[in-house]
Amino acid sequence: MKDIYCLAIESSCDETSMSIVKNGVEEVATVVLSQIDIHKTYGGVVPEVASRSHVESITIVLDEVLNKANMTMDDIDIIGVTYGPGLIGSLLIGLQAAKTLAMLYHKPLVPVHHIAGHIYANNLEERLKFPLIALVVSGGHTDLIYMKEDYSFERIGSTLDDAVGEAYDKVAKVLGLSYPGGPLIDKLAMQGADTYNLPYPLDDSSYNFSFSGLKSAVVNLVHNEKQRGCEIRIADMAFSFQKRVVTVITKKTMKAIAEYNVKNLVIAGGVAANNGLRSKMVELIKDKNIKLSIPRIKYCTDNAAMIGAAAYYAYKKGIVADLYLNAKATDSLYND
Amino acid sequence: MISLFIDTSNSDVSIAVCNDDVILANICDSIPNMHSVYVVPYLEKIVNEAGIDFSDIDKIMVVNGPGSFTGIRIGLTVAKILGYCLNKSIIPVSSLKALALSSSGDYIMSIIDARNDNYYIGFYDRYYNEIIPEHFANIEEINDLLLKYDDVCLVSNSELNINNYIVNKVSYDVLNIVNYYKDEEEIDAHNLKSNYLKLPQAVCDHNDK
Repeated sequence: MKDIYCLAIESSCDETSMSIVKNGVEEVATVVLSQIDIHKTYGGVVPEVASRSHVESITIVLDEVLNKANMTMDDIDIIGVTYGPGLIGSLLIGLQAAKTLAMLYHKPLVPVHHIAGHIYANNLEERLKFPLIALVVSGGHTDLIYMKEDYSFERIGSTLDDAVGEAYDKVAKVLGLSYPGGPLIDKLAMQGADTYNLPYPLDDSSYNFSFSGLKSAVVNLVHNEKQRGCEIRIADMAFSFQKRVVTVITKKTMKAIAEYNVKNLVIAGGVAANNGLRSKMVELIKDKNIKLSIPRIKYCTDNAAMIGAAAYYAYKKGIVADLYLNAKATDSLYND
Repeated sequence: MISLFIDTSNSDVSIAVCNDDVILANICDSIPNMHSVYVVPYLEKIVNEAGIDFSDIDKIMVVNGPGSFTGIRIGLTVAKILGYCLNKSIIPVSSLKALALSSSGDYIMSIIDARNDNYYIGFYDRYYNEIIPEHFANIEEINDLLLKYDDVCLVSNSELNINNYIVNKVSYDVLNIVNYYKDEEEIDAHNLKSNYLKLPQAVCDHNDK
């Protein structure tokens, strides 16, 4: 069978990334241009600033990825692109680039859902095994997904308000940590203890999540302590917050694994890099004959390689768009 | 010489292919908020109608602002990818000057609505030389300029009423724009930038702190 090389483009937030992926499993070359230093100035991603940066670097990233792979556009078979969800202004840059390339070179244009990409990041490490439960945790998402087979997604639970990574970043901001604060909380938590009495967020029998209440509890607690002139023990606060987040997420994930009777668990998204979450999950599945896949950090954060991996399976399923493809800020991957 | 002209910086999308003094194919369509859907299909259609291949294009011209931030970026992204892939440099075109070039007079002021009683303005003499640099301006400033100069031809890409000055919407004179810009500086795709004339609000707020 002929090899299929996908040029994949991802620009849904603050990373301009392109990758060339062979047959959905092999990363040939990837370029990720992060804007994190730009957005640090503002304490978070500013959409207009992100969009401006994407358009400035779009051809530079394309040139770099082709050079790195030692390929030309003629070697490319399909073009995969993140069409959503994400920041609309940012998505549009990658989308227009993909559409222009598809038009110029008469290549199939494959729209890829950002979350599908995060899940398929694992496919670059080791071929996904089905059925599986995917826990997608990032700055924009907190989803539990059941996959019966390739490119089939059933969302069984999701956050009702803030995404988990968003809650991490906001709590970090209140604690005076720099942006992005999620990784810093994870690090601080290692030196802390469970001393702050915070609520367990949406600790019920559903598969849904809610983090805004917990986030507000931290904000209020910090505020009250400050008013009373008490110093916040940042490491303890980080530990107490992280413990509650991780406890609820892992509990619901274990419930999904049991109820859907799967032996494969995939964790994806930027928060998959969180050590507290990783170690708790490892502890819970011990002796349960469950295969846990977590991609390396470089595949956890936004990158186009994961989009290239997902695009291959989308293409195999016949998912191809015409040149009228539009970006969508919010869009459901699932049948709900 | 075959030129491709692209403007997606306002609600009217304009794409044209010209061969010297002949327009081979063009489209001008009002598609507010739908640029991301239609610009690439329109481009393919116009190039096909012109009976050329993309590789036949000698000059790529694109309006890089001012106007709708998102609109500017759509055309610019398309033009940059085209330029990179076809190994062609790109000529950036000012939306304000393009409006002036579609009109005539001793003095021409191009005004583009930037919302909240703010405007992007360009002010030119009869030879389309800039009298003042294109910039982001408020009503008072426009008023002052109009009091200072007589017989100013006011043009815009939408109907405007500024302090009882009626500004007419003009359609692009694509041939005049293309002929004026054909010898202007070309910029390679990597270095071609947008000309927003305005910082993002968040950056303004941050700088004010």
